[in-house]
Amino acid sequence: MKDGKLKIVPVFEDIMPQEYIDLVNNGLFGEDYGVEDLGSFKELLEEHPLCAGCGLALAKRLIAASFPNPEDTIVVGTTGCSSLSFTQMALHNIHSIFGNQNAVASGLKRALKIRFPEKTKDVVVIGGDGGLGDIGLGMVMHSWFRGENFATIMLDNEAYANTGGQESGMSTLGKVLNMAPTGKKFPKLSLPQIAYESGCVYTALVNPADAKKLGKIVKNAILMARELGPTYVQIYCPCPTNFKFKPEETLDKLKERRKTDYKTQEFISPEAKQFIERLEGEK
Amino acid sequence: MDKIAIKQKEVDLNHLLKKSKREKHFITGSEAVKEAIKRANVDIAIAYPITPQSESMHLVGDLYAEGYVKDYYRGENELGVMSAIAGAAMGGVRVFTATGGPGTLRAMEMFPTWAGSRLPIVCSFLTRGINSPLTIQPDTIEMSFLLDTGMLMFHAENSQDLFEMILSAFTIAEEPDVHLPIGVFADGFFTTHTREIIELPQEDIKLAPYDPYISPVPAMDMETPPVRQMRDPFVLKSNFISYAAHASWQQEVHAAKERSIKHINKHLGGMLEIENEDAEIMIITSGTAVSQSRDAIKRAKEEGLDVGLVKIKTIRPFPYEDIRRIVKKAKKVLVPEFNIVGWLAKEIRASVEENYKIIGAPRVFGGMTMPPELILEEIRRACK
Amino acid sequence: MSNNLSIRMAGLGGQGVVTAANILGGALVRAGKQSTVNPFFGAEKRLAPAESYVRVSDEKIYERGEIIYPDIIMIYHPHVITLGKSYTMPFYDGLKKNGIIIINSDEELPMTDENIEKLKEIGARIYYIPATTIAIETAGTELSTNMAMLGALLEVTDLVSMDFIKASLEERFGGKKFIASGSTAALDDAMKGKFDKISQLIQKNMEIIEVSGVKIKKYSLEKGRV
Repeated sequence: MKDGKLKIVPVFEDIMPQEYIDLVNNGLFGEDYGVEDLGSFKELLEEHPLCAGCGLALAKRLIAASFPNPEDTIVVGTTGCSSLSFTQMALHNIHSIFGNQNAVASGLKRALKIRFPEKTKDVVVIGGDGGLGDIGLGMVMHSWFRGENFATIMLDNEAYANTGGQESGMSTLGKVLNMAPTGKKFPKLSLPQIAYESGCVYTALVNPADAKKLGKIVKNAILMARELGPTYVQIYCPCPTNFKFKPEETLDKLKERRKTDYKTQEFISPEAKQFIERLEGEK
Repeated sequence: MDKIAIKQKEVDLNHLLKKSKREKHFITGSEAVKEAIKRANVDIAIAYPITPQSESMHLVGDLYAEGYVKDYYRGENELGVMSAIAGAAMGGVRVFTATGGPGTLRAMEMFPTWAGSRLPIVCSFLTRGINSPLTIQPDTIEMSFLLDTGMLMFHAENSQDLFEMILSAFTIAEEPDVHLPIGVFADGFFTTHTREIIELPQEDIKLAPYDPYISPVPAMDMETPPVRQMRDPFVLKSNFISYAAHASWQQEVHAAKERSIKHINKHLGGMLEIENEDAEIMIITSGTAVSQSRDAIKRAKEEGLDVGLVKIKTIRPFPYEDIRRIVKKAKKVLVPEFNIVGWLAKEIRASVEENYKIIGAPRVFGGMTMPPELILEEIRRACK
Repeated sequence: MSNNLSIRMAGLGGQGVVTAANILGGALVRAGKQSTVNPFFGAEKRLAPAESYVRVSDEKIYERGEIIYPDIIMIYHPHVITLGKSYTMPFYDGLKKNGIIIINSDEELPMTDENIEKLKEIGARIYYIPATTIAIETAGTELSTNMAMLGALLEVTDLVSMDFIKASLEERFGGKKFIASGSTAALDDAMKGKFDKISQLIQKNMEIIEVSGVKIKKYSLEKGRV
């Protein structure tokens, strides 16, 4: 770790796996990395438990490359596939119970503000569509109403993937899934709009096919959350296992949906617009 | 909000509870909670209203407005509150909240999670009945649901106990070899809404702050090498080492609970209090039922009946050895309780050999009061 | 009066049953007695049954909760008796031998022969006081009904001196926030809104207490009023 916080104990150096040594010595810290630098540093152990072709793994690598302040970033996740590979990243990651991530993040962010008044500690919620859109929606929305200073990122694979592909609120209308044997009866939740109406100063729908744009949106969302208030980013993460396509087709799925209903788009409040202009002016 | 900078000297628990000069106050149990938190150096408190707890957390809100507590808000529901409190505790600050009855059950999933995360959260449970039918009246049934969460459980007899147990709970919970959540229970209405004389130490002192760096689990602040709250990869993976890790983790939680006994002995003066241990008839109970029993025993004495009393202060850890010894000597043991299931009688029966001696009576529930006359009747019956 | 005394106050939500008990308890403690005070109420608010209990003793009081066997019962509203708005039925249930009952009503309430017989057996002493009328006439608000009831109690029992009641009143309504229950705190503000100054509120309440001492009437179970 380049800022020296994390070191391997010398006596263990010879027995640590190479990929772990890489994560420590050549991790995502100390440089201002972006998605275009992926491959030049190590953000995730190869041996993570997400499926081949998993859209979550792609999104998480892109997010990791976009943290503005990874040295002081704590990720709060929740139950489901979305949580699986955090434990293979060199970040503080909290997994409490299913759906309570935004409440946990509220307490955590406030605690860190008290303990580190002179320092920026970024709390970022990264969870799945079930945890954010269904079981935890009340706590998600209340964190927005309260104006909590952290970004919420949804990894949207449009189903409960970890439990075997059941319908979620974010599944599309008519989709046949487990627990929706005759097709989903109501449309996908319009969470970006709901977030905007609920106090998020900046919300975005992101298709990872627009990788660079994703990087910029995630960075902006985290920076804005520090100063302006809650932000929400929803990222499409196709699931080859439950939606039964080949792992190598994930990128095709992204591009397909980019043409139809999962285009990258932002909902920017006037204060967020000012903020972005200020950031760009500083560059 | 303009807050006055509060000047309080930092002291240890022993100074706060035993050495500081005390004054008498005629206050309610809810106010006793406020007085405890005023001296507890709490960083964050999060509230959600439920009768009979609401007044306690209103008053903690007043402490925030006055500058005694650094952050405070009303959460969305009890699950949200207990989750946010967990997040704050993981961030390395001292936290406090309170709930009761249906609120306890709404938040249920978080209590074993607190213990498993080794968070030294102090939560006051101001007990009441559980639906349905709807009731807001006193009842201790929620305690039976919490016996096996890994939390420590203290049961206050009155407001004085509530005040002292809350303050002691912070110190005991934060011991590095304990580092577990503590529930401080008091019977709703009987304690929360009863105004009585209690003795309070001076206002210008408070507990020294919580130090997250003596915790056995690092704070989630990216100041220490990254570890995960779930301590992966092994726990999430499904292999032998994951089962072994989970099993030993649970054992460690329960071992930590047992290790708390020495701190309980030091700060609470033991897990129980015994009066007249050699009596043939013993009453073993906790909470308000102790007070009712004291009155009944006084009257029994006037009738020439000799009855002893055991006040259990900690339900978790449970004083198994003392209870075994006491029950062995006694002829009969009455266990008065404010709930229908008789969880304390069950607990006592399960820990002794001579379980036929245990009489789970009198028992009231659903908001009923337990007049000492009811206990006296049981004493007379037991003496026959 | 014996060393231990238990008072059960039964009324309707908003009548100040809880406040009266707290003021009395505060006065007793000031006078050097041991006292505990606690309310009992349901989730309903205005006009729902509300009770509070005051225990007083020279020694430490352990028993808490509802008072099942009171020495004194104070009925703040006729509906407690006529509509059974109470935690105990009939209203005098548990009253100790030669106990006292104080009822707020402008008129005597109809009682069944059975109740009259039982009250005679107990040796109950019953008093009527038009507490709400006194409150409206003296202070211009029915919110002071509880003060008239306290006045009646002090007239028949001599429990504690007026000076301590006044000090307790001042503590209750003067500046410092007082918490008995959330709703009580809200009603406090309503009460304070009726008067220009706190001192005026306290003075009016003291007047009510004095007036009610004069207006209380004993009821004879044998032959009506004495």
